[in-house]
Amino acid sequence: MKLAYYPGCVSHSTGKEMDASTRAVCAALGIKLVELEDWNCCGATHVSNELVATGLAARNMAQTDLEIMTSCSICYSNLRAAAQRLEESETLEKVNAVLDRKYSGSKIRHALDVILEALAEDDERIAVPLKGLLVAPYYGCLLTRPTGLYSAEFPSILEKLIKRLKAEPVEFRLKTFCCGGPIFMPQEKAAEDIAFRILSEAKKAGAQVIVTVCPLCHLMLDAKQKVLEQKRGEPIGIPVLYVTQLAGIALGLGPEDLGLEMNCVSPMAMVERVRAKGTMLEQKS
Amino acid sequence: MARDEKFKQEVLRLAGTEVRTCIQCGTCSASCPTASLMDPSIRRLIKLCLEGKREEALHNETLWLCTSCLLCTVRCPRGIRPKAVVSALKDIAERAGLQSKDASYEQFFLKQIKDFGRIAELSLTAEFLLVFPQGAVQSMQMGLELLPRGKIDLKIEKINGRDEVKRIVEELGKK
Repeated sequence: MKLAYYPGCVSHSTGKEMDASTRAVCAALGIKLVELEDWNCCGATHVSNELVATGLAARNMAQTDLEIMTSCSICYSNLRAAAQRLEESETLEKVNAVLDRKYSGSKIRHALDVILEALAEDDERIAVPLKGLLVAPYYGCLLTRPTGLYSAEFPSILEKLIKRLKAEPVEFRLKTFCCGGPIFMPQEKAAEDIAFRILSEAKKAGAQVIVTVCPLCHLMLDAKQKVLEQKRGEPIGIPVLYVTQLAGIALGLGPEDLGLEMNCVSPMAMVERVRAKGTMLEQKS
Repeated sequence: MARDEKFKQEVLRLAGTEVRTCIQCGTCSASCPTASLMDPSIRRLIKLCLEGKREEALHNETLWLCTSCLLCTVRCPRGIRPKAVVSALKDIAERAGLQSKDASYEQFFLKQIKDFGRIAELSLTAEFLLVFPQGAVQSMQMGLELLPRGKIDLKIEKINGRDEVKRIVEELGKK
């Protein structure tokens, strides 16, 4: 399978491990990625004018005829919402008037859905089954909203992938609650309150690791975790992995392939544990 | 205060005419992750727009407490997009040249897209801190986590299609 790949701006800075693990997992699954030519920022959640946001997305989508895959839920949501708006001829006309390459339709996919599709039940490429690992599936907002492929209220695709990797999803009630990320610069306190609630809930649910599908969620739960623990006086200590990192561990890829050393809360002890357990199971059978 | 009909029409044009059908049920406010900090609430903000109360609708923290999570939008029983109302108000505020710390963050963000085509997180943060130094502690703490892991990039990437992106921002922004 060949897909166009839209890395998004954070893939070159705070989300480097998202990019590395996406490329590594797709290579391991035989999915060829062609990076979108001269891609631009999707506008994230900071472009208030809808037509401008649609134009920014359209320029990206017009660069290829292939299906476009991204690992970032913000990019994913923006591109999908734009594709829907561009079905209206008036919007399409206005946007195409300023584009070099004209937009004529596009299909957008999230890496989560691509990986799940590529993995069979009991796939023999799963070299390290994540047996007994308790994973909190954290959806955040934009994978399912406004027009995702999955239920906005009760999504289950992450649980499905977690099970396919032989790990165990835990039920925690804030799995589709916003991380506060988009307002963390100007509205620090409000954003931190929300992020801490999510971490605290995941811990109560017994999670050993939280899995995310968005670099902003990841930043809030991983990079901010230590500061939040200090401010609130409550230890959390839960590694936060991108879904591509979790899949990569199960596929037997190494820490350097998956950028695991870039995570702020180190997942290495957890990785060693699941690897040791996997080897034990192998020896038994 | 007098009803500003022109303002109301501009909100409806940007956010959709279905906003008119709001029944003030409050599902949006009940779903909002930052509702407890908002004054006016998102429900009340929509009412202000429909009453043409321009000043009250534009000058508040509510606009800047919206995280764009879109829960209001997927839940509204009338098919209204409350987040689109917030975006419309930000857009109107921006065009009117209203200044605030939150507005300046969005302006820097859009300026980076216009100038480079992509976002360089470090220089965006630096630019914002010049107008809002209170955010420095948080940024330093974050930087201490990210820098040793090689996740802060010093270079600014510029795409080739900058003229095209500039056209998207400037020309479509006028419509």
